[in-house]
Amino acid sequence: MASVLDRVIQVTARVLRLDPAEIKPEHSFTADLGAESVQSIELVAMFEEEFGIEMDEDAALSVQSVGTAAEFIEGVCKQQGVAV
Amino acid sequence: MPPDQARKAHTLVDSTSPNLLEKTFDYDLPPKIRFDGPLVEYIDGQRVEFDPNSVKTRDIFITDTTFRDGQQARPPYTIEQMVHIYDLLGQLSGPNGVVRQTEFFLYTKNDRETLDRCRALGHKYPECTGWIRAVKGDFRLVKEAGLKETGMLTSCSDYHIFNKQKFKSRKECMDSYCEVVAAAFEAGIRPRCHLEDATRADWDGFVLPFVDRLMRMSEQVPEERSVKIRICDTMGFGLHYPGVELPRSVPKIIYKLNRECGVPSQRLEWHGHNDFHRVLANGATAWLYGCDSLNGTLFGFGERTGNPPLEGAIIEYISLKHDLCGIRTEVITELADYMRSLDFPIAINYPFVGKQFNTTSAGIHAGGLRQDERIYNIFNTAKLLNRPPRVSLTDKTGSDGVVLWVNEFFGLKGRDRINKIKCHKLARWVMDQYEVHHRITAISDQEMEAQVRELMPEYWEKYKGAQT
Repeated sequence: MASVLDRVIQVTARVLRLDPAEIKPEHSFTADLGAESVQSIELVAMFEEEFGIEMDEDAALSVQSVGTAAEFIEGVCKQQGVAV
Repeated sequence: MPPDQARKAHTLVDSTSPNLLEKTFDYDLPPKIRFDGPLVEYIDGQRVEFDPNSVKTRDIFITDTTFRDGQQARPPYTIEQMVHIYDLLGQLSGPNGVVRQTEFFLYTKNDRETLDRCRALGHKYPECTGWIRAVKGDFRLVKEAGLKETGMLTSCSDYHIFNKQKFKSRKECMDSYCEVVAAAFEAGIRPRCHLEDATRADWDGFVLPFVDRLMRMSEQVPEERSVKIRICDTMGFGLHYPGVELPRSVPKIIYKLNRECGVPSQRLEWHGHNDFHRVLANGATAWLYGCDSLNGTLFGFGERTGNPPLEGAIIEYISLKHDLCGIRTEVITELADYMRSLDFPIAINYPFVGKQFNTTSAGIHAGGLRQDERIYNIFNTAKLLNRPPRVSLTDKTGSDGVVLWVNEFFGLKGRDRINKIKCHKLARWVMDQYEVHHRITAISDQEMEAQVRELMPEYWEKYKGAQT
């Protein structure tokens, strides 16, 4: 089964129309990957769908990088009893 | 004090909680106008102080001329329309009669029927008064209509005295006006002398001697029939700044009439025009310096650029009084809706009633509204005007604006509000309208409604399902 980070990269690539191979954990969604305001919200929505979780809007939107997003999602999954 | 001696250091008062200045910005009222000292004017070389806080205790009020000046700038209203507007004015006014009087033409059969039907509604306020030319014969009309008071033209600038009315001298003019005033007294009617073109008149040479004479004449009749003075800033030349000279100074005009001529505040009325965008400031200034009555029209509609907007005067009144004083402010919205139904043009950005007066389209403002509507709404417009703040959707609105629109549409508040993440498809649709389809117009409520139904079906079903 793919890791949380791999799945975050796949979703990010799909929403931002990028090659997954170009996305690194340290990349910032906005500064490095060019996510605009609406795309940031789409990313959070797609992460929720991918992992079957619900995230706090403000907390999720304050996450800056791909790697931090994976860690954040892992924490939410644990809290909500979702196996990853 | 020389400018360099006024300098002093200012220290940050650090805080970890906001000071929202709620003593002034009580959200459930228009912001209070609070004074921290007297108003000062130099008149004839003497320093004169005025207490602006006196408006809180004085019986200041508003009079209406929607059916007279307001109607001089548009096709005539039908009788039904005028009766309906009068009824709404009565509701707006409240039990304290903040909208105290309204004036009617008396010349045609329709004028008189309108007056009768308005009075038949039984409102105590606004009291109906008349408006006639300064012609003795016209008092018959006032008397027949059973009115106690009428306005009459007593134009006072030399532009009117010599160039329009062709009097041979100021004395001939004054004698003529006073004859008509005497006729009003004889007919048992209170004359309200309209000092037309007062802000372009010779105050020392004509206006003040004329008002002195009117005051002497008034001593001969009971108080309820004594002359009232309407100061008409016919061309909008009046100025509210301190230090301005006569005839344009609103403070000096009020002082001269009130304190030098002895016209009591309750018998003084300010009637302005908006040719220089000063109309409401001038009117409110008249209140502050000792004139109790401010004359206006609904939505400021009147001759040329119009008059003090009555609804603006209402908001100013509440701001000065720090209290609603029984005024039913929500009727302002009802009046605007009714006027629009008559094809009466109200600009979309017109304060308090324009379609978009509390609508924001900038995403950053919509974001602020979403967090705390007080950030970008002037006061509780939902409570006072039945008009919650809104967002207009364009490419500048951002997802915050979309979320605000959705929650307002479903009527959701507090913890029930839908978050941004749940609105992502709708936010994308809005952005695509501009980025993909190169749209250049705002998105209408109808379009948004259709998209909500399609893109957020679970919420539609939950909140609108039972209604459709």
